[in-house]
Amino acid sequence: MITFKLNGKTVQGEEGQYILQVAQKYGIEIPTLCYHKALEPAGMCRLCTVEVFDGRRTRFVTSCNYPVWEGMEVRTDTEAVHKGRKLIVELLLARCPEVPLLKELAKKYGIEEPRFKKEKDDCILCGLCTRICERMGNAAISLTGRGTQMKVDTPFHIQTEFCLGCGACASVCPTGHIKLEDITKHAIKPIPSEYDMGLKGRKPIYVPYAQAIPNTPAIDRSKCIHFKTGGCKICAEFCGVGAIDHTQKDEVVELDVGAIILAPGFRPFDPSRYDAYSYSKLPNVVTAMEFERILSASGPTMGHLVRMSDHKEPKRIAWLQCVGSREMHHCDHPYCSSVCCMYAIKEAVIAKEHSGADLDCTVFYMDMRTHGKEFERYYDAARERHGVRFVRCRVHTVEGVPGTDDLSIRYVTDEGNLHKETFDMVVLSVGLETSPEVLELAEKLGLSLTDSGFCRTASFAPVATSREGVYVCGAFQGPKDIPQSVIEASSAAARAGALLSGARNTLTKAKEVPEQKDIRGERPRIGVFVCHCGINIGSVVDVPAVRDYAKTLPYVEYVADNLYSCSQDTQDTMTQVIKANNLNRIVVAACTPKTHEPLFQETLVAAGLNKYLFEMTNIRNQDSWVHKSSPKEATEKAKDLVRMAVSKVALMEALPEAALDINQRAMVVGGGISGMVAAKTLSDQGYQVDIIEREPVLGGQAVNLYRTWQGEDIQQNLKALVESVGRDRNIQVHTGAELTQVEGFVGNFKSTFQAGNTRGEIEHGITVLATGCYEYKPEEYLYGKDPRVLTHQELDRKFIDGDPSLKKIKAVVFIQCVGSREPQRPYCSRVCCTHSIESALHFKKANPDMDVYILNRDIRTYGERELLYREARQAGVIFIRFSLSRKPKVTAARDCLEIEVMDHVLQRPVLIKADLLALASAIVPYKDEKLAQFFKVPMSEDGFFVEAHAKLGPSQFATDGVFLCGMAHYPKPIDESVAQAEAAASRAVTLLARKNISVNGMVACANPALCSSCGVCLEICPYSAPAFIQKGPFAGRAEINPVLCKGCGLCVSSCRSGALNLKGFEEGQIIAMINEM
Amino acid sequence: MKILGVKSLERISEEFSRNIYFPEGVKVNVGMASCGIAAGAKAALERALRECPAGDSVEVRQTGCIGFCEEEPLVEILAKGKPRVVYRRVTEEKLPEVFRDYMEEEFNKKLILCQMRDPRSVLEEDRENPQEGVIPLKGIPFLDEIPFYAHQFKIALRNCGYIDPDSIEEYIARGGYFAFVRILAEMKPQEIISTIKNSGLRGRGGGGFPTGIKWESCSRHPGERYIICNADEGDPGAYMDRSVLEGDPHSVLEGMMIAAYAIGSTQGFIYVRNEYPLAVKRLVSAIKHAEVLGLMGDNIAGSDFSFRVKISTGAGAFVCGESTALMASLEGKVGRPRAKYIHTVEKGFRDGPSNLNNVETYANVPAIMLKGAEWYAAMGTKYSKGTKVFSLVGKVKNTGLVEVPMGTTLRQIIYDMGGGIPRKRKFKAVQTGGPSGGCIPEAFLDIQVGFDELTKVGSMMGSGGMIVMDQDTCMVDLARYFLDFLKEESCGQCTPCREGIKQMLDVLTGICEGRGKEGDIELLEEMGSMIQKFSLCGLGTSAPNPVLTTILYFRDEYEAHIQDKRCPAGVCKPLFHYEVDGKACTGCHVCALKCPQEAITGNKKEVHKLDQKKCVKCGICYEACKFDAIVVR
Repeated sequence: MITFKLNGKTVQGEEGQYILQVAQKYGIEIPTLCYHKALEPAGMCRLCTVEVFDGRRTRFVTSCNYPVWEGMEVRTDTEAVHKGRKLIVELLLARCPEVPLLKELAKKYGIEEPRFKKEKDDCILCGLCTRICERMGNAAISLTGRGTQMKVDTPFHIQTEFCLGCGACASVCPTGHIKLEDITKHAIKPIPSEYDMGLKGRKPIYVPYAQAIPNTPAIDRSKCIHFKTGGCKICAEFCGVGAIDHTQKDEVVELDVGAIILAPGFRPFDPSRYDAYSYSKLPNVVTAMEFERILSASGPTMGHLVRMSDHKEPKRIAWLQCVGSREMHHCDHPYCSSVCCMYAIKEAVIAKEHSGADLDCTVFYMDMRTHGKEFERYYDAARERHGVRFVRCRVHTVEGVPGTDDLSIRYVTDEGNLHKETFDMVVLSVGLETSPEVLELAEKLGLSLTDSGFCRTASFAPVATSREGVYVCGAFQGPKDIPQSVIEASSAAARAGALLSGARNTLTKAKEVPEQKDIRGERPRIGVFVCHCGINIGSVVDVPAVRDYAKTLPYVEYVADNLYSCSQDTQDTMTQVIKANNLNRIVVAACTPKTHEPLFQETLVAAGLNKYLFEMTNIRNQDSWVHKSSPKEATEKAKDLVRMAVSKVALMEALPEAALDINQRAMVVGGGISGMVAAKTLSDQGYQVDIIEREPVLGGQAVNLYRTWQGEDIQQNLKALVESVGRDRNIQVHTGAELTQVEGFVGNFKSTFQAGNTRGEIEHGITVLATGCYEYKPEEYLYGKDPRVLTHQELDRKFIDGDPSLKKIKAVVFIQCVGSREPQRPYCSRVCCTHSIESALHFKKANPDMDVYILNRDIRTYGERELLYREARQAGVIFIRFSLSRKPKVTAARDCLEIEVMDHVLQRPVLIKADLLALASAIVPYKDEKLAQFFKVPMSEDGFFVEAHAKLGPSQFATDGVFLCGMAHYPKPIDESVAQAEAAASRAVTLLARKNISVNGMVACANPALCSSCGVCLEICPYSAPAFIQKGPFAGRAEINPVLCKGCGLCVSSCRSGALNLKGFEEGQIIAMINEM
Repeated sequence: MKILGVKSLERISEEFSRNIYFPEGVKVNVGMASCGIAAGAKAALERALRECPAGDSVEVRQTGCIGFCEEEPLVEILAKGKPRVVYRRVTEEKLPEVFRDYMEEEFNKKLILCQMRDPRSVLEEDRENPQEGVIPLKGIPFLDEIPFYAHQFKIALRNCGYIDPDSIEEYIARGGYFAFVRILAEMKPQEIISTIKNSGLRGRGGGGFPTGIKWESCSRHPGERYIICNADEGDPGAYMDRSVLEGDPHSVLEGMMIAAYAIGSTQGFIYVRNEYPLAVKRLVSAIKHAEVLGLMGDNIAGSDFSFRVKISTGAGAFVCGESTALMASLEGKVGRPRAKYIHTVEKGFRDGPSNLNNVETYANVPAIMLKGAEWYAAMGTKYSKGTKVFSLVGKVKNTGLVEVPMGTTLRQIIYDMGGGIPRKRKFKAVQTGGPSGGCIPEAFLDIQVGFDELTKVGSMMGSGGMIVMDQDTCMVDLARYFLDFLKEESCGQCTPCREGIKQMLDVLTGICEGRGKEGDIELLEEMGSMIQKFSLCGLGTSAPNPVLTTILYFRDEYEAHIQDKRCPAGVCKPLFHYEVDGKACTGCHVCALKCPQEAITGNKKEVHKLDQKKCVKCGICYEACKFDAIVVR
């Protein structure tokens, strides 16, 4: 350390530091123009000149490059220094009178007009650009010429190849003098951000996207200048903890594993292969992924909806569906990408939310495929409530409107009329495809793929690939949306888990945790740690001052400041400090507890302290970031925040975390395919399972189904499944049984059932609800009145039985959406389109001359089911579209059924004479209110159970320990049911495998003495944590089950008598904080 | 042969001193430095070689310059037993006459500059005086009797004009390399440094930093050390170093070698201007000769010490005389200075400890080492020891190089040696220290030359330029001239120097062109003061000197320009006109004949008239009038 005087104050700097660096540390402002912390100081502008007294004489030196030495006296504020600086600014202003930077400086120095001859330059010759270029290892530009002729230039004044176009020069230029295009021959363009679909640039060091895991920046070697020239390495200098290592190499890591799960995802179809949409030519034709980024708050336009060509807000946007899907051109795909209809609607609605209702959104589509849970409702709302326009037409060409950036589209409506419309933007709803890398991987692994390039799986084993031990999930298995991907992910994990269950916990290591110190009765001994967060906090808040201030607060025994409190070495030091100083409460003033609280709590635990003896206060997000321009006030605020945290933490006490044993038995309600698969999966992992089935036999709806869409024989597979369940020693089947009573909660359920005359009781840790649905019995189209009118299941039964009457049929009609997508049942039943087509093909195969009609509203053969649709059309099945307002009319003639329908092509009614009418009737849930009550699980309007989270928790309930699969969730085909059954089991295993769970200590607690027994808490709690005490002196008052409590605080805030308190946020603690404000 | 010790040097010395002082036949020495060549010495030398009548017994040799540039070409002729005579202005045509004059012993005074009393150098006191016993010529002055040489004492220039610069043997014969070879055998590096420190030798390049201290601190810093010789003499009108390099290159090499041994360096560089081709040529040959004799290279003179010197030629940037810029240029980079907060003796050339001295400093070193520190310290003033070479130019009768002991007064140099101002003009000022030196007025003519003494009056020693100005010099124009030079030579890196000098020049030009306004002087002072304090290198910090000293001593001239729009010296053309003084005009008509514009008319013996409309103020009439009848108004 070097001690010297700075403006009369004694200060300290490090050996080798320059005056400027020390002055900046002490908050003394010295103006600079040619200084940049990444570069060796050059002392060119001389603006930072200060006076140095060495004991004999005073010298004028530039503070940027004058090293500090012991005993020197520096003055930065003398009259001579000020006068000199002012004159320098005046001289530079004369040189560059129009440069804003200098105008501003001149204003600061009170210069109105330079007294000198004015020039018209805009370069102040600070040399930052040339020095940084040299630092980049390149020196493509340098200061050429001498004296007044000096300028920044390339060799021989020509653009060079040597310039890498890195832009470092332009980025450091303070006046905007540097024009890259004068320097380089390379095209100047930012590095396109992969995440922002190239709409935005990114840096060579970048975090791929905000939620990336690991959330650490990476260096793009193909773009980093260091890897091209060997120069730069500035990042390594700037990194306060020395985390950057340019010598790292890619490694080949060999792992021994028992199972592999493939989740390589998809890539969006690239429409630039397609001339007709002019995607590569016209900037306002964007893909849906690009549009997503434009809508995103973190996207290239900060969520402001503008078009890319001129950044104007669009008034009219068109979505073109099926780009790269349902097409047979050489660059296209025959399958349906499953997700595009829904995302287009979502984008249209969000676009309207961004830009206002008068934004005109039009979706051009072929069939609207909103077959997911709640999707149809969303579609209806988009159309009717948000005013999104839907036009059924596949648009073939997008053209630019000459002289503008607008786009023109021509299309034909159902009525045959040609329209031409102009839009500001066109969004291409691009489909999903498997990337070539994944295809290569599949080949390496020897996996069987479908013709469309997806992994081939069987309906009864939807995540098993053709190679044993290799599982697949997500879009590589077939185009699908998030919920289905998440279901499959869990399913694949279950399959892998079943394979490896014998090895469970053999590689895990128990963490050694020191015994928790009992601090009851101890006087608070608080440790305060203040974080610089590199420069995030330290550059604004005077961290040492906050630290010193904390020392003055009551009960504070220890203070420290850290560059990065979250780094591993700091954590280790903290552990030592806590032990050595016998601290019993800790405050960390740093960033957000949301991300870092668990880390510090772990440190407390490692030091033998209860993790709740901790308070974190956010002096970054809530202080240094928002008060950048007022460092003094920010420092004061940081002190306030620390003071509040200290006052609160002093009142904190050790909170216990209730531990709960988990009963290892599982119960599955429902013995259909889903229930059986769930039970089988649990059993495969070694758990005992009880199946409760209401019917006398297992099998559910599948008993009446003929073939899967892939052509597999359902009865055969079902039989094998039922037999394997029957053989399974882990599984107890209770048929003809009904639950009568359920008690308990996660880990400890006690269920009672009635089967005939017998009554049984099961104690189980978790529950899977797989109660399924049933087929709607129509009341229209002569159903039940004429024997020739059948539902799907009835028709399938005939197929299964090989009914001879089918052979006589010459014409058959299918009517879709019977009972579905109707006002009383507005959801799509998802499976019927495929089912009808599959049956139609069956007829056609048996008798190619048979007339087969499918009357539909939209054909929703999503994914590779689309191939069936194509096959059916090729086989001559006739598809006639009708609308809800003009449904077909069925009348019974003597020898046939007469079905009249308005033909959408001919625009006139046609009459079909059929021998058989198959109705694609809806799938209806049981709406079992009692069951919902037993497990406290919610049910939707339609009667389907509501999962914990539509996207991220599709196979579980918000209620812990209760899981969901199959059609009880939503109508779905067998493959999806099997996947979800496995997923539900997989989720259940995450609980069962732990044997016991500890719950959060920050839970509500009731003081029965104050309770008024009003019961509001019982009503309001979403987790059923409060209950009335049954016995004893406080019977009838509330108590909280800490195991069920999630610490949300709803009950606490609703308790009128003040009987409830949330541990860790107790009233006394909050008031103590408020009092300190 | 290789030099292996003092003995081998003595053998050479004995052999070649005969050649220098006691030639078998006649010896003709033609001064062949650049100044001599410019005056026609080369042609004279060639003719001498071609035509010398006496055949074998006449030896024609080239030498360096003895300093009296005014009288070049100088040819010295000597023969055994005869006086050693220096002939002046010996052009090719005059050569036979001069030769005959000596051979036939006519000794025509008009041809002769002087005769030599004792041509030995300061290093050779123990050697027999070759002129002893020779009967002096009557009526012809000895060298030291010529006013120009009266006050001189030659240390740095000790061999210039006396030896053939291309002959290492002649250098040895005059005591050269003895110091170095003895040191190698007898002295420790620290002893050398002590000697130099005790001698009081200060850097002759202008900075005046004590040489011994510089060597000492360089020797203390670890790393590959470098010895650098600054031969980038860039001051206009100054040519001290050139003369040494052309006349006595070995003295510089020997000085560098001593420094290298003292500091612990094995590699030296001479950074010399490419505009000095002759100096470069002679350095190259000197290095070659030293290598041949084993005085340079590995294991010099049989010792463990190795040293090599490389020559690097500069491209003529004035700023490259600044040490850090010079080193940057040596490294192959653009010659721009850097801040010297970390001294070059610690981190200089290629970041190694580097000792940089100029030519004259090194040339002094062998003499000091041979004669001792006390001998050297006995000369000069309290803080400036030894002698200093000045190039005396400008409005002075005798121009040339003079080497005088420190402490000699300016008046002695200008009037006694320089012979005063020609054409009865009045002395106005003397500018010392090169373009960024200051102008010293008559009032300070009696100050003694020395580093601190000159600084005190606002000028500086610099490398030794001394420009004398008379009444016809406009001080404002002079300041403008120097600033213009410095503007061109500023490297451009730092704002005060680049922008400041440019703007100061703009103000000065305005004053010279009659656009001067109230406040200009104060503005110049303000800027000058800032540039002095805030600039990065010596060029900037000294650049305002000419302006500030002229304002200090000749403020009235500035005021005349600004307030009266008048240039008293008659230099700034927009601010004066010529008139015919009716009282003084004799009507000789010379002016009218010479006027290129035919602006002057008049009959003979009548007062002439000057038509102001036609006059372009070329000044030819003013120069031509012998009666001072053309006056500046």
